[in-house]
Amino acid sequence: MNRIYNIGVIGVGGQGLLTLGRIIGLAAIHAGLDVAVAEVHGMSQRGGSVIVNVRIGEEPSPLIPIGGADLLISLELLEAVRYIQYLRRGGVLVSNDFIWPPPLARYPSRDEIVKSLKSKEINLYIYDANKASTEFTGSTVSANIAILGFTMGVDEELEEILGLEKVAKALEEVFKGRVLEVNKELLRRSYIEGVKIAGKRRGSR
Amino acid sequence: MANPLLAGRGSRVLLLGNEAIARAALESGICVAAAYPGTPSTEILEAIVEVAEQCSVYVEWSVNEKTAFEVAYGAAIAGLRSLVAMKHVGLNVASDILMSSAYAGVEAGFLVVTADDPSMHSSQNEQDNRWYGLLSHLPVIEPSNPRDAYELTKESYALSEKYKIPVILRTTTRISHTRMPIVLSGEIASGRNCRGVFRQDLSRWVLVPGNARRRKLELVKTWTSIMEKEGREPFIRIINPGSSKVIIASGIAFSYVREALNLLNAVDKATVIKVNMPVPLPRAPVKKVLESASEVLVVEELDPVVEMQVKDIAQTEGYSIRIRGKDLIPLNYELSIESVYSAVKEFLGIEGKTPWESIGVVETPTPIPPRPPVLCAGCPHRLTFYIVKTAANKAGLKNPVYTGDIGCYTLGYQKPFETQSTCFEMGGSIGVANGLVKAIDNPVIAVIGDSTFFHAGLPPSINAVYNNSHIIILVLDNLTTAMTGHQPHPGTGISATGKKTTRILPEKILESIGYRVYVINPMKTRESIEAVTEAFREYKNGGMVAIVSRMKCALEVAREARRSHVTLPLYAVIEDKCMGCMACVNLTACPALIVEPGAKKPRIMSDLCIGCGLCASICPYKAIIVVNNPTPGYEKLWWEP
Repeated sequence: MNRIYNIGVIGVGGQGLLTLGRIIGLAAIHAGLDVAVAEVHGMSQRGGSVIVNVRIGEEPSPLIPIGGADLLISLELLEAVRYIQYLRRGGVLVSNDFIWPPPLARYPSRDEIVKSLKSKEINLYIYDANKASTEFTGSTVSANIAILGFTMGVDEELEEILGLEKVAKALEEVFKGRVLEVNKELLRRSYIEGVKIAGKRRGSR
Repeated sequence: MANPLLAGRGSRVLLLGNEAIARAALESGICVAAAYPGTPSTEILEAIVEVAEQCSVYVEWSVNEKTAFEVAYGAAIAGLRSLVAMKHVGLNVASDILMSSAYAGVEAGFLVVTADDPSMHSSQNEQDNRWYGLLSHLPVIEPSNPRDAYELTKESYALSEKYKIPVILRTTTRISHTRMPIVLSGEIASGRNCRGVFRQDLSRWVLVPGNARRRKLELVKTWTSIMEKEGREPFIRIINPGSSKVIIASGIAFSYVREALNLLNAVDKATVIKVNMPVPLPRAPVKKVLESASEVLVVEELDPVVEMQVKDIAQTEGYSIRIRGKDLIPLNYELSIESVYSAVKEFLGIEGKTPWESIGVVETPTPIPPRPPVLCAGCPHRLTFYIVKTAANKAGLKNPVYTGDIGCYTLGYQKPFETQSTCFEMGGSIGVANGLVKAIDNPVIAVIGDSTFFHAGLPPSINAVYNNSHIIILVLDNLTTAMTGHQPHPGTGISATGKKTTRILPEKILESIGYRVYVINPMKTRESIEAVTEAFREYKNGGMVAIVSRMKCALEVAREARRSHVTLPLYAVIEDKCMGCMACVNLTACPALIVEPGAKKPRIMSDLCIGCGLCASICPYKAIIVVNNPTPGYEKLWWEP
């Protein structure tokens, strides 16, 4: 890879963003690529706003420049809006269909957010990863895996760079036993959902 | 799911910078490692803890950085390789022994890791700890990325042993907390002898003035030697020599400079000096490059530590060249590819627009609210803050000032609690309270966490009794060091490796100093309000009182409940009973309680609620109730370490 492919993984501290970043990093290793995954630890993790910078390419520096992200994966809608300026023109935003408001705050409605996002020159996908996780595992804890599978399905470039089986292999280094099996299956299912959505959209163009 | 830290030589593993340092230290054959947790340094020791038994390394969470330093240094003067790790401000706490250790030196490799936090992601300041190298006359090694951190840690042990002095390894957040694939070039040392020998040498280990004067001469000699003889890879590397434009990049700055030159297609337009030993800056290679240079740009994160040394070399050698640095690179916050890109572009006089084009911001009719870190759902501090404020009202404690400290509870500075009016440094809550109470007439309540109390809370607690500083001490004992990811401390009776050890209770210490101590369980809200009210009344009558509020960190409770298949209570708002007064929302600011746009009543997010019950105890209409079947005896999880 000549250029650096940038993925911003965003959301609220506690949503499994570090795990998601690490899985992408491991998949990049399996794909024989160099990568840097800049995490956020400490105070920001206490329900704060978080961005994990994943940069795939030769010896990348750690941080994605504003306007440099090819792909944003967001586990939460308010955070998707907060970090949108990281996205390059024509980039892809995949956001979880979920709003987690900060305590005591006034915030826009889902429809207002989606309408505002649609006004931009981006490829927008909204996916209920919480629901996908809950339906399959009984809780939202695997929403990060669901959104990753879905993103692999809709974003051809990411799929080309990593490959679904490399991501599945990465899961083996992070989970074990039943949790691993469940996550592998969830990854596959949400991937198929992504492929379906992307196919429809490509067809309608 | 094998631990990548234990992978064999030749493996390509994804390691966090901190894990890379840990692995390299294990390969270097350390026998002892000690630390006090602090972001962004914590994972260095955590990684070693996980494999300590397998690798026969003695590892401990010490009570503070000074003690951790002394533990590791004690081993190093007895001839065992050792490591101490801390965040930047931790080195302030350990600076006394740092200075002396430079004079007395070591018998085996000794690495002092300081993880600085430019941009203050999780810190009260962003001091540049490379100054400590200049202050102590010890070399500072600064990696450019996690791969460098791995190699340079091993080199640092060799350097430390060669000169018999401690070596400071300085990382920053983006090195400590960035993962990169690393090809392991060595195996973890095994079969080494971890029994040391202490050789009596009064002239060296006893720094009375006469000995210290002699040792200072030795230190100056060593310092000069390093400056003159260690100008070699991997401490310094010259890339594309011979250009009249020179960019000197120290530590992480090199990663940005490299990428900026690539983006500008300007790799051949400048000579680059990659500096991994910023202190002391090796003179010979820098001098050689400066000889034929016309203009120099020094890129480094935070202070002009290298820039000043480069200017010194140029001045000493009589070179009249323009040396730029902090006029193009900010003195504050962490670097970014954007800031380095524009500095390099201007320095090289290249025209053209930046390679990134943002889609800009997105405006929503109601703006996106800020999302600062908050106390978690079920956080014991929320209950304690509510109890203390309610009790202060009941007891007629007028306008108390809550001096604060370092930990999750610092977040109590926010509404609706406002029970942290100050936050400076570890132990500062009690120390500053000692002075405030001499200056103002308000009651002063020093609020400090359990781990912080053991770290730096004891001397000022003693000072208050000794010097009649009439303060109240409130210890928030959540049975862990929560903010840094749940490390044990003396109050838990559990060691770093999970072994049972002597449990030291804050109330016993405070009683022995002379405080009347009230221990509360904040989950029993009403009882606790009564107890704290009584404590405040006693204080008003002149008593020296302390309160210990004990309830385990909610994140730990949630994890243990999952592990042991215990069902915790789940609360819900009963819509028919709820009058929409919002007392629960406004008094707790619990992240599990949300009010959707347009809604008149709050809702509890069942994924987040872990059943602390505070909202239910506050609700005037009894509209919040348990809606599941909790496992009998679940309360124990909240109470036992």
